[in-house]
Amino acid sequence: MKREHQDAVDGGGSWHPEAAAMEDEKGKGTMGAEEDGGDDELLAALGYKVRSSEMADVAQKLEQLEKAMGSSTAANDDALVSHLASDTVHYNPSDIATWVDNILWELNASPTPLAPRPPSPPPPPPPAVPLQNHHHQRHFDLPLAGPEQSTITTVDLPTAPRRLADNYDPKPLPAPHAAAGRIVYGSDAQSVVAPSPRDRKRMKVCSSPPSSSSTTDAAKSDKALPVVVVDTQEAGIRLVHALMACAEAVQQESLKAADALMKQITVLNTSQGGAMRKVAGYFAEALTRRIYRPQPHRGVGCSSRDSAALDNILHQHFYESSPYLKFAHFTANQAILEAFAGCRRVHVVDFGMRQGLQWPALLQALALRPGGPPAFRLTGIGPPQPAHSGALQEVGWKLAQLAGTIRIDFRYRGLVAASLADLEPHMLLDPNTGDYSDGGEDEEPEAVAVNSVFELHGLLARPGALEKVLGTVRAVQPRIVTVVEQEANHNGGTFVERFTEALHYYSTMFDSLEGGALAADAACGGGRRDQGLSEAYLGRQICNVVSCEGVERTERHEALAQWRARMGRAGFDPVAIGSNAFKQASMLLALFAGGDGYRVEEKEGCLTLGWHTRPLIATSAWRVAASAGGDPIAAAAA
Amino acid sequence: MAGSNEINANESKTVVPLNTWVLISNFKLAYNMLRRPDGTFDRHLAEFLDRKVTANVAPVNGVVSFDVLIDRPTSLLARIYRPAPATASAAVALLPDLCRSPSPDPFPVIIFFHGGSFAHSSSNSAIYDSLCRRFVSLCGAVVVSVNYRRAPEHKYPCAYDDGWAALRWVSGEPWLRSGKDAKLRVFLAGDSSGGNIAHHVAVRAAKSGVEVSGNVLLNPMFGGNRRTESEKRLDRKYFVTIEDRDWYWKAYLPEGADRDHPACNPFGPNGAKLEGLPFTGSLVVVAGLDLVQDWQLAYAQGLKEAGHSVKLVYREQATIGFYLLPNTDHFYQVMDEINDFVGSNL
Repeated sequence: MKREHQDAVDGGGSWHPEAAAMEDEKGKGTMGAEEDGGDDELLAALGYKVRSSEMADVAQKLEQLEKAMGSSTAANDDALVSHLASDTVHYNPSDIATWVDNILWELNASPTPLAPRPPSPPPPPPPAVPLQNHHHQRHFDLPLAGPEQSTITTVDLPTAPRRLADNYDPKPLPAPHAAAGRIVYGSDAQSVVAPSPRDRKRMKVCSSPPSSSSTTDAAKSDKALPVVVVDTQEAGIRLVHALMACAEAVQQESLKAADALMKQITVLNTSQGGAMRKVAGYFAEALTRRIYRPQPHRGVGCSSRDSAALDNILHQHFYESSPYLKFAHFTANQAILEAFAGCRRVHVVDFGMRQGLQWPALLQALALRPGGPPAFRLTGIGPPQPAHSGALQEVGWKLAQLAGTIRIDFRYRGLVAASLADLEPHMLLDPNTGDYSDGGEDEEPEAVAVNSVFELHGLLARPGALEKVLGTVRAVQPRIVTVVEQEANHNGGTFVERFTEALHYYSTMFDSLEGGALAADAACGGGRRDQGLSEAYLGRQICNVVSCEGVERTERHEALAQWRARMGRAGFDPVAIGSNAFKQASMLLALFAGGDGYRVEEKEGCLTLGWHTRPLIATSAWRVAASAGGDPIAAAAA
Repeated sequence: MAGSNEINANESKTVVPLNTWVLISNFKLAYNMLRRPDGTFDRHLAEFLDRKVTANVAPVNGVVSFDVLIDRPTSLLARIYRPAPATASAAVALLPDLCRSPSPDPFPVIIFFHGGSFAHSSSNSAIYDSLCRRFVSLCGAVVVSVNYRRAPEHKYPCAYDDGWAALRWVSGEPWLRSGKDAKLRVFLAGDSSGGNIAHHVAVRAAKSGVEVSGNVLLNPMFGGNRRTESEKRLDRKYFVTIEDRDWYWKAYLPEGADRDHPACNPFGPNGAKLEGLPFTGSLVVVAGLDLVQDWQLAYAQGLKEAGHSVKLVYREQATIGFYLLPNTDHFYQVMDEINDFVGSNL
């Protein structure tokens, strides 16, 4: 972070205006900026990326912007400046050049919005398919084998909203999940009404290739271990100390010492209260498993694969009792919504369908957008469920009902896959293409969004799996790929390093749950039960991080810098998430009881949600790199 | 109007390195978008634009940092910076290591209040994280950077109360005491609004019998109703305007107060008398191109007249923010002054 050794060019720190002016003319930066084409080191240390060779250009842009903004004393300039703040969407402030360009573009753009699209024509007549097919699940094959079954089974739900209402008289779907109701999409209608040139401009403007110093940032980020101390009680400190010492003993395979420390931990834990006690309990349990692992089922109970039903219950409670999943869904939906602007046919691929909690809000936002909703296709992917559980298609069914009530042309396909790596591009193709075209009308190609919330890190347990999945993603040529991951490094270094990282990470998370539960309890009761189940949800992750290895260790969380590198290598460019999503996410948090400590931050186009100063999850958005040429399917197969 | 803007840009460009000019101009334009004419502040956009860094217990250039929740009800956080501790094993420092004295010999504890005219920035802003790390390396100090509540959401006296809470917290940490007499050697430091906060916390300390070893005020933020000569002469010329100063005071001071409120103008008509109080000695650094310098010089003079020790460092050609980038004489020489001041008051 610090660049103390990057002193002035002439070594003594002296600096003379004339010399600087001369350097300006050469178009180079001044002190501390040694290399051509590299970022200015001093500004980089403060979070700004400006190439030394472009410093003068950037300065000129800033002058241009200042001129355009004028003085804030004139009345009309006040309106202009406030427009810049409230109506303009800002992107990626670290890249000053792009940030300024974006604002200047806004200022030069026409002040009147373009005429909205004419109202959409009535939905096409329902598909000419016998009615009973709506109820039969075509191509559906319930797998009865165990979790390692890798066949893909599909559930297709074509729907015709009116037909549904006529024949099945469904009860109105209960209001979409509480969080969705609180999300205000109205104000981002502006970004949706924006014509596609603006959208293209934004996506173009954010695709500047990573600068040479990004690798240094990655190296620094790899080593950063943020710690927030919320409890400096003596007992808490000794407990952490004992846990760490035990982890070290385990790493050195001094099992006698580990055992002795474990006894100490048990004693210390009883005198501890609050979040610290619970976190310590989970870590102690995980260490115990690791020390005394019953052969051969070392990882039993730690993997979400072991009990998908229980996992879904815990997931649901975690969703309700804390803002993390809601933030993930909200920010990803925002990026998807913007990417779908102007598209008449869209397809969302959800890598972790579960209860489909993310999608009601997106459907409602699409229904509300000026110009009307697109035809919406959803592919939900989920793991094999125990015998006869039709969870995956039931979710689709419920969403279809919702879509019906808000008049969205909705189709659903469920794909059961033991691993995302079993996916092939052809499985994501539209199964009905060509069947329903209306007399020669050219169909616009589908705009595809691929959405992954906490699903990618599990692929790191098997070499090559992530690369295969990203290849499949590229092959379907998505307009946007949304990724949400834990902002932590629980996959590198030694066991002790991983243990330490995880201890700090989950301590912070548990502390945040504590605050939320207190407030929820005060408001409506039930907060404590939700909290306990949420802690169990996280506890399974802790167990996996600490006591598992090899292919069983699926909670291989990595931080943003590492994901950036992986996505870059796989042929994706970042798409910056802007200030409108940031603002709305912040407002959502303010509504969330106990939200005082939650913080949204922007980091090079990505948004993070954290507790106090520690980011805990990160949302990023991606598109296929412009430079990636050739046949993507061939490339994926390569 | 456009013409005079051009002149302004050229003037400020000739007195700072280009990358400094880019940095401060970027702040200036961003900040212009955040202040609304009706006195409200676009906090969400401010947080979006602010470049932040996390704490880091892994040593970087020999310095580690970690955040502490000092007061849960107000969510008052502080970031602690210290020399990397020696650890028992090669592993990353644990809390016991972090909360152990860096040295048996006397070392300074610097409570730092970041700038931002009471409205901007945080203790985890990159510009202030960088500065605090430098103070650790410079003086072998433990630095406590206080994330005080900001205006306009939190007006006077919230920032001062948070400063006082931080001083109380520091006083209660045994590992921050050093030397044979196990004494707390605490300095209050700050730039811009942070300098103002340091002064007022020092006053409260003096009145409460809490010993402060010294105050370090970098371009401290003071003002008054009167328009001084420097304000008129330098208005709009070097990144700062009278208008923005007025806006920030209005945001911080109580409803209906004017700039002769003692928070803003401690030696003005409503200021408290400091004669006879055990007020600490001060290092006051003034930039010659800062439009509020007349108030800062008056402040230094006020301290002197009240019988208190002041070392005034006047950097003629320096602008605001010169201490953010290590690329001028001003930076290095002022750092030396700070080091000397702290060392001689330890």
